Amino acid sequence: MNELIPLMVIVPMIAALLLSAFSKFDKVIKVLAFVVAFCLPIIPLVSNYGLHYFGGYQPVLEPITNMTYHPAITYSFNFMQQIFIAIIGLLTFLVIFIYLTKYKKVSGPYLFLVFMGTAAVTALILTDDIFNMFVFFEILALAQVGIVAASSIDYSYEMALKYMILGSIGSPIMLLGIGFLLALTGSVNITDIVLAIRSGIVNFKSPVFLISLGLIFFGWLYASGLPPFHTIKSGIYSKAEPHGAALLQSFTVISMISIVLILFRVYSVLPIFEVLIVLFSVLAMILGVSLALTQTDFRRMIGFLAVGELGFIGLGIGLGTQFSITAGLFQALNEIVITALLFIGFGAIVNATNEVDTRKLGGLLAYHPKVSIMLLIGGLAMAGVPPLSGFQSKLMLVQASLSCGYPELSILAIMVSIATFVVFVKTFYSMFLRPKPHDLDVVTKDVPRAMIFAMAVLLIIVIAFGLFPDVVTNGISQYVGGMIH
Amino acid sequence: MSQLAVLFTSVALVVIGLYAAIFVDNIIKKIIGISFIEEGANLFIVGIGYKSGGIVPILAPNMDVSWFTANASYPLPYGLVLTSIVIGASTLAVMLALVMVLYRRYGTLSTKVMLADTSKQEEYDE
Amino acid sequence: MKLYDQIFNVVKTFKKLFSPGPVTNADVSGSITSEIFLIVSLLMSALLLRHLSILLTGLVLLILAVVLITNIPLIPKFKIEQEDSLEKMLFYAIVTLGIIVAFMYWGGNFV
Repeated sequence: MNELIPLMVIVPMIAALLLSAFSKFDKVIKVLAFVVAFCLPIIPLVSNYGLHYFGGYQPVLEPITNMTYHPAITYSFNFMQQIFIAIIGLLTFLVIFIYLTKYKKVSGPYLFLVFMGTAAVTALILTDDIFNMFVFFEILALAQVGIVAASSIDYSYEMALKYMILGSIGSPIMLLGIGFLLALTGSVNITDIVLAIRSGIVNFKSPVFLISLGLIFFGWLYASGLPPFHTIKSGIYSKAEPHGAALLQSFTVISMISIVLILFRVYSVLPIFEVLIVLFSVLAMILGVSLALTQTDFRRMIGFLAVGELGFIGLGIGLGTQFSITAGLFQALNEIVITALLFIGFGAIVNATNEVDTRKLGGLLAYHPKVSIMLLIGGLAMAGVPPLSGFQSKLMLVQASLSCGYPELSILAIMVSIATFVVFVKTFYSMFLRPKPHDLDVVTKDVPRAMIFAMAVLLIIVIAFGLFPDVVTNGISQYVGGMIH
Repeated sequence: MSQLAVLFTSVALVVIGLYAAIFVDNIIKKIIGISFIEEGANLFIVGIGYKSGGIVPILAPNMDVSWFTANASYPLPYGLVLTSIVIGASTLAVMLALVMVLYRRYGTLSTKVMLADTSKQEEYDE
Repeated sequence: MKLYDQIFNVVKTFKKLFSPGPVTNADVSGSITSEIFLIVSLLMSALLLRHLSILLTGLVLLILAVVLITNIPLIPKFKIEQEDSLEKMLFYAIVTLGIIVAFMYWGGNFV
């Protein structure tokens, strides 16, 4: 059923518009949001692989040059897209579920933002059109700003405005890069652009091509929150509601990998492309983890850890072999799940104590044993402890960098994992294990059931990916092999 | 020649915008500067499609196709820029709305006050 | 003796920045870990230069090591440069943009 491919984007978008329009009817939007969120992970799983041409414009064979052109916006759907869209759909469902059970009166505009963000990342990963990518990249940025501004945490408006201002520098620069690429190739379809470069119509050593890489790369840095955007990215995670932050980080990861795969297809003919990606990934790993070590607000700490983990994904893609890109994508998948688990779990703690400073917390193990055990497993998975999923992907990354002849990158990756472990253990100790400070009054209310449920679902995925990584890696590896050759 | 002028103007707009983003303190002026960058990018893309002495890219029924392809300007960039302008306008609206809220809270438009480092204030609130 | 004083200074600076009350094991280990992690990881990534030139790598490593070790505590200095004010974020973003574009234009084909 190829007709389902555009529906993956259209369903959340229509739902978003309806929810915003009927926001006065509380019952109706609750039911609608729940039903649509429930459908989101199912649609990609029942859909067939294939291509979708919007408007039905099939590719045209040009008789003179004997090359195929794609006049329509094309969506391509394969195993890689399927697994990522299913995971993002599942996460959206869990977040919507937590949100609906948490508040008596739900806000239509907030649900609008959540669904719009989901639609935007789904389109980002499906699209084969560089301008379509830019449009959804902008919609995603707006949705992210909205989710941050909607939270009731102090300074959330300030952080949202900062993100927006940086974004309105990053995205026009990216647009300029797309313009350069359009000027060179005359097309916005990525398959056509790649064909033009491979067949030698475009001189890939020309400065215009190089500059277009630089400009789009800068936009990618903003989208993925690698340095110099790591502070703002971790900032918006810490200012959003915990379930919102869980969704925001997944948006970041998906936009990062979908844009970088496009960049890889277009620019992998240039050796400098891989150097750039590895350089910024290494910077992200070092800065993210070393800043996480110094944080006292645990939401900010996970934010920085999430940025550090993004470095691993970039490292895998920057090494540029089939095995390393598979490892990077698998790491991306794991990171979405694990970081969401951590954000939701720590959100449960905020819910119970109204305190985010690790210095003022302590002794919570006695009050919330379930949450703390699940958080512990999530943290171990992030640090890469076997047999959890983070271990599998990090091991693959270490092997990949060794086999590419960069042992120093392997050592760096292991060191960053250890430092991640230190950060997590330090925080876990000060929050859960050490004696409770006298002035901390734990509100003796239960953690919401929905949060426990969401954490349990995510934990099952973490353990399942850790025990059976082949289920995912084989399919991704095939996709990557098809993309490289 | 006129295409070169378009290029220079767009580069100038981008550079002025980047300058304003760093050095101007007033948040409204900063936002104006930032929208300069966006307009620069849009102008550049419009400039790609421009053809000196070209015609509007609409194929009339009695036109010769090969003459049309030789003389019409390239229509794709115009379509793209239209979308990009709409996105830019909505981004601008959201930014200004946020500025309005923050102006009511702080009573100033200075970036140094309004968007200063907030992490320290949280750390020391004992 | 001087190095020992410096390391002790690391812990004291951290205390002032991050936690009130008596010094605990977690404070000491956390602060020293972050310092050592930063130094070692920066040196390790400088090793990547060996793919360009071995002599250059040796030189850069020596200079970097001396500069980093004589400047501890590094993390507070490091953190001040990466705070949440828009000024600094914009500054670093635009400097990075300039570096990327200049590097691509003049050096893009030499790698």
